[in-house]
Amino acid sequence: MTENAPATMYRTDEGTGPWEHRGKVAAVGVGHSPTARRWDGRAETCVGAISLIALRRAIEDAGVDPAEIDGLVMDPVTTTGAYWPKGKPVPEEVTSAFNSTDNPLDGIAGLSAEWILKNMPELTGIDFTMYGPGCMSNAICVAAQAVGDGLANTCLVLKSWHNYEGRYYQGGANAGSDLPGTAALHALWGTPACYGTALQFAEYCRKYGKNHDMMAPFIENSRQNGLKFPEGYWASHRPEEITPEDYKAARWIAKPANLFDNDLPIMVSAAYLYTTAERARDMRQKPVYILNHAASNTRPRSLTPTLDEVEADTARTARKIYEGAGITAADLSFENMYDGFAQFHQFHIEGLGYRGMKFGEALDFYQTDISIHGPNPILPSGGNIGCGRSRFWMHTDCIQQIQQRAGERQVTGVKPEVAVSGGPMPLGGRFTVWSATPD
Amino acid sequence: MILISFDIDGTLTVGDPPGILPMDMVRAVKEQGCLVGSCSDRPISAQRAIWASHDIEVDFTVSKHMLPDVKAEFEADMYYHIGDREDLDRRPALEAGFEFLWPHEAVDMPWVDGPDA
Repeated sequence: MTENAPATMYRTDEGTGPWEHRGKVAAVGVGHSPTARRWDGRAETCVGAISLIALRRAIEDAGVDPAEIDGLVMDPVTTTGAYWPKGKPVPEEVTSAFNSTDNPLDGIAGLSAEWILKNMPELTGIDFTMYGPGCMSNAICVAAQAVGDGLANTCLVLKSWHNYEGRYYQGGANAGSDLPGTAALHALWGTPACYGTALQFAEYCRKYGKNHDMMAPFIENSRQNGLKFPEGYWASHRPEEITPEDYKAARWIAKPANLFDNDLPIMVSAAYLYTTAERARDMRQKPVYILNHAASNTRPRSLTPTLDEVEADTARTARKIYEGAGITAADLSFENMYDGFAQFHQFHIEGLGYRGMKFGEALDFYQTDISIHGPNPILPSGGNIGCGRSRFWMHTDCIQQIQQRAGERQVTGVKPEVAVSGGPMPLGGRFTVWSATPD
Repeated sequence: MILISFDIDGTLTVGDPPGILPMDMVRAVKEQGCLVGSCSDRPISAQRAIWASHDIEVDFTVSKHMLPDVKAEFEADMYYHIGDREDLDRRPALEAGFEFLWPHEAVDMPWVDGPDA
């Protein structure tokens, strides 16, 4: 059975110096599945099937013999809010299309490493599997550390998402009448998911004299970038911009967070191929070297982190990121921090001190040229707002930008040499520093 | 005068997911002289693009919570909103003083064939 990565795999402390594997691990291959708004019930579109597509595309992209791959790191949970209805029969035509595990919903409502290996017979050399739970931001940190530590030499990293009919976050245990602990306050009797971030944003606006309308250029820019991401949902299915007028006219979900401050749950999978810097040199794509990975394990004092806690932690995270990578904020060519919800993106980049930014300055920064063609690109991936809910567009974009193959999305106002990406939330996130060179 | 507000996703065939009401029906209703528009969670610019791509000139395109604004702006004898969601269509429509129709009910309305519009 595959286990979650132990705490020792993560770099959570300050003052530990440069990462011991700095520049010795690289990302090479990228593979994405097609996207869909919801699962249509067919075997070939279930979350397991799209995962196989993404993995095979990453292998092909890297130009690696599948038999040479010896590691697999992934997240077994494929949703945060779309649950298989209790009592609903598992579709036999789907399960019979694959080699199954003991869990009948494996490949449909979740995904184990065992399911993947049973359905990818070409992966004959895997002797290391591990879970990096939550999102790709976590899994790639685990993969980087695993390759650096020699637990795997050529390692696939996978994150997949399913989505069903019905409202997100409304099913599963949330539809019951009791939940243990503080989850009851959030999920049963509580608020929309964006409420905590909205609360922080409201305090941010009060503290710094800003307002919700100032987010409009960020949202517009994110969607424009996302529409240049052919693998993304919006570019593939509904090429709709979000103009400032659109944004300001949207309904509130949890004021001051509106509809377009939230992302759209989708079906999607992405995979990367990680390996040693030495091995990467012979692969099909240019290596993108990992300078560091860092993590936040900070727990808020109450149900929702306060703005003060958020700012303290993003600053602490930035110090860890820079120290381990041996860089400063001035070395960043661009940033790709998480945005789902849009209103915490500025917390991430203010903590980083991106382009000299201090707390309270991001919304003013958004009023300047933040496009991919300017000197200060903000979220060139478009993130979840630009591409749909996946929590991994920013990582794919960092790899593709540095490999100079981001297509229409390629940054032109800066030379893509060093970038940072990660998330999800400001407290509890996992972060990666990417580089065109190993030092 | 009748004013008809259409939800898009889950209501019109061009929606995501597709609904059952074809754009030809909207066009026919418009040609009867009804005031017609959309009230949707789609960006307003995207709503306008949908109507333009089907060569239908609508009277309004608004976000989901803006039915009261529509009622304030347009004088009509009857106000209808057609949609597929209890929480996002029916309830706010009734609160805004609109009559509400599910898509399958709308196809049976006399103004679809329209002599009295």
